[in-house]
Amino acid sequence: MVLKIEELHLHYVTMRGMLKAVDGISLEIGSGEALGLVGESGCGKTSMSLGITRLLPSNVSEYKGSIELEGRELMKLSKEEFRSDINWKKISMVFQGAMNSLNPVIRVGIQVAEPLVVHEKMRKQEAKERVLEIFERVGLPPETFDRYAHELSGGMKQRVVIAMALLLNPPLIILDEPTSALDVSIQAQVMNLLKQLKKERNMAMIFITHDIALSSDISDKMAVMYGGRIVEFGTSEQVINDPRHPYTQKLLASTPLLRSYNEPEFIPGAPPDLVSPPTGCNYHPRCHMVMDVCSRKDPPTAYPEEGQRVECWLYGEENE
Amino acid sequence: MRLGRNLLVRGFTLLMVVVVTLLLMNVVLGATGFSDRMLNALINDQVRIYRQGLVQTIQDPTELQRIVNNYKDVLIEAYGLDKPWPMRLPQMIWRVMTFDLGKAKNAQTFKGSTEIYDLIAERLPKSILLITTSVGISALLGLTIGTKIATMPGSKIDRFFSNYSAFSYALPTWWTGILFILIFAQYLRILPPGGMYSAPPPTEAIPRFLDLLFHAILPISTLVLALSGSWIYLTRTMVLNTAQQDFVNVARAKGLPENLVMRRYIIRVAAPPIITNIILGLAGSLSGAILTETVFGWPGMGLLYWNAIVTVDEGLIIALTFVYTLIYVIARMILEVLYVFLDPRVEY
Amino acid sequence: MGFNAKDALNEFWSSRVSKLGVFFMVTLFAISFYVLVSYPSNFGTSYWNRPQHWADYPKAVPPTWTQMLTSDKKAQHQILVTDEVYVRDKGIRALEYSIRFNYKADEYPKFTSFSLSELTFYDDPPFVYLTLERPDGTVIEDLLFHSIPYPSPGDEPPFVKYVESPLRIYLPGSSEVNSALSRFVRSEYELGLTPLDIGNSGQEQYIFGTPDSEGNFDQPLTGSYTMKIRVETFHEDDTVGSVKFVVGGTVFGYMGTDTLGRDLAVGLLFGFPVALFIGFITSTLTTIVGSVLGIWGGYVGGRTDDVIQRVSDILNNLPQLPILIFLVFILGQNIWNIILVLVFFGWPGLTILVRSMVLQAKEEQFIEASVAIGASRSWIMARHIFPQVAPFIFTQMIFYTPSAILAEAALSFLGLGDPSLPTWGQILERGFQTGAIYLGYWWWIIPPGLLIVITALCFVFIAQGLEPVVNPRLRRRR
Repeated sequence: MVLKIEELHLHYVTMRGMLKAVDGISLEIGSGEALGLVGESGCGKTSMSLGITRLLPSNVSEYKGSIELEGRELMKLSKEEFRSDINWKKISMVFQGAMNSLNPVIRVGIQVAEPLVVHEKMRKQEAKERVLEIFERVGLPPETFDRYAHELSGGMKQRVVIAMALLLNPPLIILDEPTSALDVSIQAQVMNLLKQLKKERNMAMIFITHDIALSSDISDKMAVMYGGRIVEFGTSEQVINDPRHPYTQKLLASTPLLRSYNEPEFIPGAPPDLVSPPTGCNYHPRCHMVMDVCSRKDPPTAYPEEGQRVECWLYGEENE
Repeated sequence: MRLGRNLLVRGFTLLMVVVVTLLLMNVVLGATGFSDRMLNALINDQVRIYRQGLVQTIQDPTELQRIVNNYKDVLIEAYGLDKPWPMRLPQMIWRVMTFDLGKAKNAQTFKGSTEIYDLIAERLPKSILLITTSVGISALLGLTIGTKIATMPGSKIDRFFSNYSAFSYALPTWWTGILFILIFAQYLRILPPGGMYSAPPPTEAIPRFLDLLFHAILPISTLVLALSGSWIYLTRTMVLNTAQQDFVNVARAKGLPENLVMRRYIIRVAAPPIITNIILGLAGSLSGAILTETVFGWPGMGLLYWNAIVTVDEGLIIALTFVYTLIYVIARMILEVLYVFLDPRVEY
Repeated sequence: MGFNAKDALNEFWSSRVSKLGVFFMVTLFAISFYVLVSYPSNFGTSYWNRPQHWADYPKAVPPTWTQMLTSDKKAQHQILVTDEVYVRDKGIRALEYSIRFNYKADEYPKFTSFSLSELTFYDDPPFVYLTLERPDGTVIEDLLFHSIPYPSPGDEPPFVKYVESPLRIYLPGSSEVNSALSRFVRSEYELGLTPLDIGNSGQEQYIFGTPDSEGNFDQPLTGSYTMKIRVETFHEDDTVGSVKFVVGGTVFGYMGTDTLGRDLAVGLLFGFPVALFIGFITSTLTTIVGSVLGIWGGYVGGRTDDVIQRVSDILNNLPQLPILIFLVFILGQNIWNIILVLVFFGWPGLTILVRSMVLQAKEEQFIEASVAIGASRSWIMARHIFPQVAPFIFTQMIFYTPSAILAEAALSFLGLGDPSLPTWGQILERGFQTGAIYLGYWWWIIPPGLLIVITALCFVFIAQGLEPVVNPRLRRRR
C-alpha cells in the first residue's frame, strides 16, 4: 500500500462563505497502481491533489484527516519536514496546464535538474547527465536542456514536465489533466509514455481527468468524484462495466462511442455550489434515479462487490 | 543574430529621437523667426566689438564704416543669415551634434568660462549625483517594501502603501520641496534651505562630505518621496501577479526552500518590468530634477536650465534641451540592452 | 464584455474612494461655476496683473482667521471712502471731509495711505490738509500737507485730474508726514524725536499710539478716530469726487495677500475653473487623438500602422519636460500653446496601449464574422472594436486630467505660464520668486499647492473607483 487516505477534509474561506472542496475523501493505492480520479470541473479533484501535497492556499480553514504514504503519517509532519522529505522525493506532480508550469526566465534543463541539486545535493554536471537521461527516456532531444519554455511546443513542454516529475523516482506521481491541452495524436503518445513508465518503474499514479474514457485507458482503479466526495470507487473494470452510481452511469453514457448509433446523453443541471451544497446527497437535484430520502439524508457507503464502493441510497438501508 | 538586429533597430529609433528633436527645435526656431533674431543679435554684437577695436586705428569715419560693413557681410554669409532658415538647418544640426554649443549669456563656470560646453561639464555631475542617489534609494525602498507587502495583500500596511502611492502621484515634487524648506529650514531650522555646500564650504574632506550630505538631505528626500510611491506599488503588483502563477506552485511542489522560490521564481520573473520602470524613472528624473534643483538651488543642469529661462538665454536653452534629449536617449538605450539580458522571452 | 450600466454604477459606488472622489469633483465644479459666473473674463489682465488695483491692500499679510491662533488682536484692514463734502465758504473756500473709524488692536497698522479721485479745478491748484483726531482727544494737526501740482503749460481750465488713477499718497513714504509727527510728539509729549527717527521706527506707532513712562510707543490707542480732510480751493467751482483713507491691516481676507497686496482668496478661486479647463481639454484632446490613431493603426495594420507606430514610438521617447519648456519658451506663453504641447506629448502613450488592445480584439471571431458579412472597416472599428476598448480609454482619460493639471502647474512654476490666466502654479511661482518661503509666508505657499493636490487626488480616486468596473477581475461583488 503506497498511499492510504482516510477522511481527508479541505475547506477554504471565501467571500461567500466556507467552501468544502474536499469533504471527506478516502482511498488506497497500491504500489505500481494507477488510480484514475474522474469528475467534472469544480468537483474538487485539483483541491485533492493540493491537499495531498500540502500546497495549500492561504485561505484554508480546515485541513484534517489521515494521509499515510508508505506507512508514514503525513499530517503529522511539520512544514519543513514535508518540504525536505516528501515533496518531489516521495510525491511529485504534473500540474494542469504545462503551459504555465515552467519558469519563463530560466532554462528548462536547469529547472528540471533543480530537485537533484536541492534535494540530493548533486553536482551540476552529474545532475545534467541525469536530466539528459530522462529526456531521452521521454523522447526529448538533448538540446531541449538549453531551451527556454516559450521555445517549446505544447507536447514538448508536457514531456519536460513529466520528465521533471520522474527525476527523483518517487513512489507516487500525481498527474492533473496531463493531456487536456494537447492534440489527440500527441495525447496518444503521452499516454503511451505514461503507461510504459508505469510498468518500468513500478510507479503509483493518481491520474486526474474529466475524461472517463481516457482514465480507463491507464487506470487500474478508478474513483469518481462529485461535490467534494468520492461517490464511486472500484477497479476500472468494475466502474466502466458495472457502474453503480447514477452519476457514473451518466458520465459513461455521455461519452460518444465510435461504433454506436446512440446519441450521447448529457447530464442536466450544473455542478453543486460547494459553499452551500444541496441537502442530503449532493447529486440528488440532477439524479435520474432520485428518491425521497435522497434530499433528506446523506447517503450511506455501500460495498456492492469486493473492492467496489459506492455512496448512494440505491444500495443502502432505507432506515438507519 | 536576430537579437543584434533588434537592438540595432531600437538604437536607430532612439537615434531618430535625437534627430527629430533637433529638427523640431530648429524648425520651430526658424519658423517663428527666432533664429533670425538670435543670429542678428549675435552678429551685431560681434560687429560692435570689431568696430570698437578698429576705431583706435582708423580715423576716417567713411573708411571705418566700409570696413565694418564688409566684416558684417562676411559674418552674415558665415552664419547663413542671407539664406532662408531651412537652408541653415543642416549646418545648425551639424554644429549641435559636434557639441559646438556656443556661449551662455549670463552664466559662468567656477573658473569663469562662459562656454556652454564647460558649463554643462561642470553642472552635469552634480545633477547626476543628486538623481542617482535618489533613484537608488527609491529603488531600494520600492523593491524591499514592495516585495514585503506583496506577501500580505489586503493588510493594513498594504493598503497604507496603496494610498501612499496614489497620494505621491498627485503631489507635485517641487511643491513638496518647498514645503520641506518651509518646515525644516524655516520653522525647525535644522536643515539648510538650499545650495550644495555652505558658503564658504569646508576645505577638509570629511567635513566637506558631511556638509554635502547635510545639504543633500532635503532635495534627496523630496525626490525619494515622489519616486518611491509608484515603485513600491509597482513592485507589489508585479510580485503579486507573479506569485499567483502556476510555476510558482510547481516550484513549491518540488520542495524548493521558500527563499529560493522567492528569488528565482517570483522576483527573477517579476524583475523585468520593474527594472524597466526604474530605468525609465531614472531617465525621467533627469527632467524632474529641473524642478527640484530650482527649488533647492542645487547647482546642477536643472538650475542652469532655470537660469536660462529667467535670463531668456535662447542659446543655452537650445543647447540644454539637446543635451537632455541625448542623455535621456542614452539611458533608454542602456535600458533596452539590459532588458534583453533580463528577459529571454523578449522577441520583437 | 457583459456589464450593464447599473452594475457598473453599483460597483463604482461601492468603494469609499469613489465616493470621496465624486464628492470633491462636485465641489470643484460648484466652485468653478460660481467663479465663472461672478468673475469678469479678463480677470487676469485687467485685475490680477494690474498693481494699481491692489494698491490699497496690505502687502504679504496672513489671513484674518490666523487671529484665532494668537492672543494678540490683529489690526483689521480698513478702506474708508467718502464723498460727503461740506463746503466751507467763509474766508478761504475749502471742501471738508470727515472720516470716522474705529481702531481696536494690540498692534499697529501696517501702513496708512490717502487717496483722492476726480479733481476738477479752474484756477490755482488746491492744497490738501489731513488732520487726525484721536480717541484720547489729542489731535495731530496737518499730519499731511500736499499741494496739487500745477497743470502743464498750454492746458486750459477746467483742469481735470485723477479720474483714471487717483492721487495716492503712501504715508510711510512721505518725509513731510515724518516731520509733522516729529512736531506732534514734541509738543504733545515733549519727546525729542527727529523725523528720521520716526521714519526708521515706523510712523504708525506715532500716529496711533501714546508713549508710556519710558517713552516707548508699545500699545496703540484704541477707540474712535476721526480723519479730517480739507481741500483748500481757489475757485468756487472746484470739485472733488471722493477721498479715501486706508488703514493697513496686519491681516486680510480669507487667504491673506501676496507682496503685491493681491487678495489670494480671489486668485485661488479663479484657479478652479482654469485648472478644470486645462485638465479636461487636454485629456479630451489627448484621448481623442490617441484612441483614434490607436484603433485605426491597430485594426488597419499595414503601412498606416507602421507609420503610426514609428511616430508614436519616437514621440514617446522624447524627454517631456525639457522639450515642453523649449516649445513654450519659443512659441509663447499662451494657454493654447501649453495645451497643444501637452496633447502633442500625451497621445503616443495612449495610442500604443490602445493599439495592443485592438490587436487582440481583432482576433475575435465576431470580427471575422462581421468582415464576412461585408461590413466596412470604419463600421467595424466604430461598432465592434471601439466598445471593447472604450472603458479602458475612459479610465485613461480620467487619469490624464490630473497629469495635465500637474504639468501646467510645473510649467507655471518655472515661469512659463500664461500670464493672462492666473493659475495656482503661477501663484506659487510668484511666491517662490519673491522669496516667500524664506520669509515664512506660509499662507501663500501652502494653499495653492494643497489645492493642486486635492484636485489631482479627486481624479485619482475616481479612476481607482472605476478600475474594478473596467477590469472585471478586480470586482468586489460577484
